[in-house]
Amino acid sequence: MAVERLEEGLTFNPSPILLQDQSQVRAGGVVTTISKLTKTCVLRLTPDNLYFVLSGKVDNGGVGMWCELSQAKFFDEFQLEGVSAEANEICLELAPDNLSRALKTAQNAKTVKIKLTKKHCPCLTIAAELPTMSSASRVVTHDIPVDVIPKRLWNDFKEPSMPDFDVSIYMPPLKIMKNVVDRMKNLSNFLVIEANMNGEMNLKIETDLVSVATHFRDLGNPPWAGGDGSQAGANSQRDPEAMVQARVDVRKLQQFLMGQQFNPSKAMCNIVQNTIIHLILLYEDVSLQYFIPAVA
Amino acid sequence: MPLSTQSQTDDAQYILVASLDNARNISNILKAITFKDHAIFSATPNGLKVTVEDSKCLQANAFIQADIFQEFTIKEDSVGFQVNLTVLLDCLTIFGGSTVPGVSTALRMCYMGYGYPLTLFLEEGGVVTVCKINTQEPEEPIDFDFCSSNVTNKVILQSESLKEAFSELDMTSEVLQITMSPNQPYFRLSTFGNSGNAHYDYPKDSDMMELFQCTKTQINRYKMSLLKSSTKALALSCKVSVRTDSRGFLSLQYLVRNNDGQICFVEYYCCPDEEVGDD
Amino acid sequence: KVTWRIFKKSIENQQVFICRLNEACVCVCVCVCVCFSTCQGHSFPFEDRGRVVPRTTGRWADPPDCELLAFGLRLLPIRSTFLQQSVQAVFRSLATLEKTVEKCHIELDADRNRLTFTLHCKHGLLKTHNLSFQDSESLQAVFDKDSSTNVLKAQPRVLTDTVLNFPPSLDEVTVTVSDERVWFRNHVDQEAEPSKAMLTELCLSSDEFDHFEVRARSSVTFCLKELRGLLVFAESTGLPVSMYFDKPGSPVVLSVTDSVLDGNFVLATLSDESGVQTSDRTGTPAPPADDFMNDELESYLIAMDTSMAAGPSVPAPLAPGRVVSPTATPDPWSPAHSEPGEDLTEEEEEPGRPPNKKFRSLFFGSVYPPGSPLGGHTPSSQKVLASDSEDDG
Repeated sequence: MAVERLEEGLTFNPSPILLQDQSQVRAGGVVTTISKLTKTCVLRLTPDNLYFVLSGKVDNGGVGMWCELSQAKFFDEFQLEGVSAEANEICLELAPDNLSRALKTAQNAKTVKIKLTKKHCPCLTIAAELPTMSSASRVVTHDIPVDVIPKRLWNDFKEPSMPDFDVSIYMPPLKIMKNVVDRMKNLSNFLVIEANMNGEMNLKIETDLVSVATHFRDLGNPPWAGGDGSQAGANSQRDPEAMVQARVDVRKLQQFLMGQQFNPSKAMCNIVQNTIIHLILLYEDVSLQYFIPAVA
Repeated sequence: MPLSTQSQTDDAQYILVASLDNARNISNILKAITFKDHAIFSATPNGLKVTVEDSKCLQANAFIQADIFQEFTIKEDSVGFQVNLTVLLDCLTIFGGSTVPGVSTALRMCYMGYGYPLTLFLEEGGVVTVCKINTQEPEEPIDFDFCSSNVTNKVILQSESLKEAFSELDMTSEVLQITMSPNQPYFRLSTFGNSGNAHYDYPKDSDMMELFQCTKTQINRYKMSLLKSSTKALALSCKVSVRTDSRGFLSLQYLVRNNDGQICFVEYYCCPDEEVGDD
Repeated sequence: KVTWRIFKKSIENQQVFICRLNEACVCVCVCVCVCFSTCQGHSFPFEDRGRVVPRTTGRWADPPDCELLAFGLRLLPIRSTFLQQSVQAVFRSLATLEKTVEKCHIELDADRNRLTFTLHCKHGLLKTHNLSFQDSESLQAVFDKDSSTNVLKAQPRVLTDTVLNFPPSLDEVTVTVSDERVWFRNHVDQEAEPSKAMLTELCLSSDEFDHFEVRARSSVTFCLKELRGLLVFAESTGLPVSMYFDKPGSPVVLSVTDSVLDGNFVLATLSDESGVQTSDRTGTPAPPADDFMNDELESYLIAMDTSMAAGPSVPAPLAPGRVVSPTATPDPWSPAHSEPGEDLTEEEEEPGRPPNKKFRSLFFGSVYPPGSPLGGHTPSSQKVLASDSEDDG
């Protein structure tokens, strides 16, 4: 088996990754969600997990994304040979839309193989064996061009730390929220999202022509005490009725809501007053975090 | 909470309060006349009239009778204001304007008087939205002076048959020519586009023709760009009355039945195109 | 009672009409309507048959004479784009057409250059469309599908499932055939950055085809949209689709045939000007025979049929050959020259080969390779096309 040299400092064996039958659809859904959020992102592969990362350029007003998939839930077979035993990882930049399209065509496949290959350029190659009407089998392969990210840049794609939020609240059903945000976007470029520790969240816009406020109640607040004592401490000192707010670009929130293909088992929103909103979606075996910076 | 203080505002302050179980009943009909942003609202104890105009040549009026509303309280003989219709529609459909049966947005629309905003309280599934839409002083709608006594020709058609024609109209034609005549072709729509002309002829004895009262042959042209905006109302309607008066002015009256079986009207007036020439 | 239906397929900007008469009696009418495809950058040989002289003028009684209909419809691909659009307008909504039209009358008034469609609809509604057109020389596609070296015939479903794997935005698809297999892959434009484009390749075994006749390994690139359009039509009629083709630059004929219908869809293919340069490093995205394909997929395929695999690597005509010569000189790298088993790997082993001049000129944007034997012929055919598209636009 040929050993490919893709880039200085990174040598690896082409690693076949076999997707489980049931997982194909789900994996496709996750990737489709991500493709709606960003044109390019980084796919980080470790022995245990897959991550889709949009590096936090939050400071510059951009959004950040961190999506984590447990490898074992998605793949039958997973071989990975990274740079070295200590840094057994691969970091690739790719267009999630390509990956999403490729996985879509593989939806009914008998088997799906994902593998890093060196073709006209480094590629993530997806090969699926498709059922046919005859006894013959047909194979579709997709070569998705990728950029291999050298190890010295990996630090940019580490898991972002949880912001020290002022309020954490469960989100209303995303579909309702999407409808509201879609209309608000027609009316204004900016939206104020505010919430308190009493399970209340408001979405507000205000322009020369109109002011609109949508009020959600009884949403509940996630108990962060278990994993993170310091957060709970901060929250407990707060007046539960006091609203914490952040003003954000409506399009960024809309984009996040547009991408949601499935109902998450949990959806949470953390707000740091006038700084950032941090959205967390938990699915069965996927978690997605999204960071939208506040604007003045 | 701003919401609670708002919703508990004493109704006595408002000169107009209108409530509706399903905001779609009003948003649908307003959508049909949204070809310009500015809409003149005039309310009387009979109901609400919403007027939209385009280039002094076209006027659309939506009539929403008082009994369409579950509550319609007006403290003055007549209340008028002007709002941005596009904004109003976005507010009315803030929850998406769901067409799923059993899911509807309840609406309470309040107005305190000159200088105050039009306030909407919308509720769906326990979520409340409060909208305050700024109002302006109403402009005087154009008087097209179209009176029944001057009507030369009149037909009433089931909308179905006109919908088909309107969906196919050659939009490269600048005008839509309407021929109404006691003789053939009775009722004809014609276009003159880049690639040729087309005629749609409706015989007077067609089962789509509910009424045919033409006294004199009239051939009038109307700007396609203007009439096109009436297509949305046509799509909602079940019957349409087409009338022309002695000056060639056109009146289109659409009868719209909502989901609850109630009836509203949308009316269009259109001036004839000045450059009338025979082909 | 004669019922008749019009099938309309919108293929790119072209309209193809296929008329079909269903009669209780055995009287079978055959309408042939040839589709002309002159979408951007594609062309195929035309033969100028001179001005069309209408065989008859005046009125025809209902039901419309089938031959007339075919004749009238054959006018459509004439240079009048107006006419195409307006006929499109007449038959805009097929669904309502089938439901509401009771009778159709077509009248051609050659003196006034007018084609009139009169539709008698339900409720007495009468629709009259008077379409003006410019009578001009009729261009007839020259093709002889029966002499094609390669013929594939398949149920529409087989091909529909295949094209589903490509994104809707994809313009062109490359079809490569060997003795036992067919490869479909997306054609990546030369200008596109190859490191950005996803390459998708499907490999179909000959078993999936009703008829599989490959006399010369070959690779043709043509418009996917048009293939898709045809497939919609073929699926609705349930008729198998045959594909006749030779070499790059010669038209591919997609054909749907039964006892009353013979539809031929002639599509241009990209010419294979760069020929042997397809594997050049300068950015042609010809997928090299990679070990993944060889070790993994080949083993699948070998398992599927026991014959020796010839390899998936007949090079695609990937250069943006925007010119088709009606009298293309024998291509030095025509598929007939490639021996079974000779595939890209061999060329890859010649890394020292300098880029061929012809290719270079293409690379720098020149459409006509200077000094190319094609140069002498192409301008004329190009001219015909240019006037064709600009006349009435």
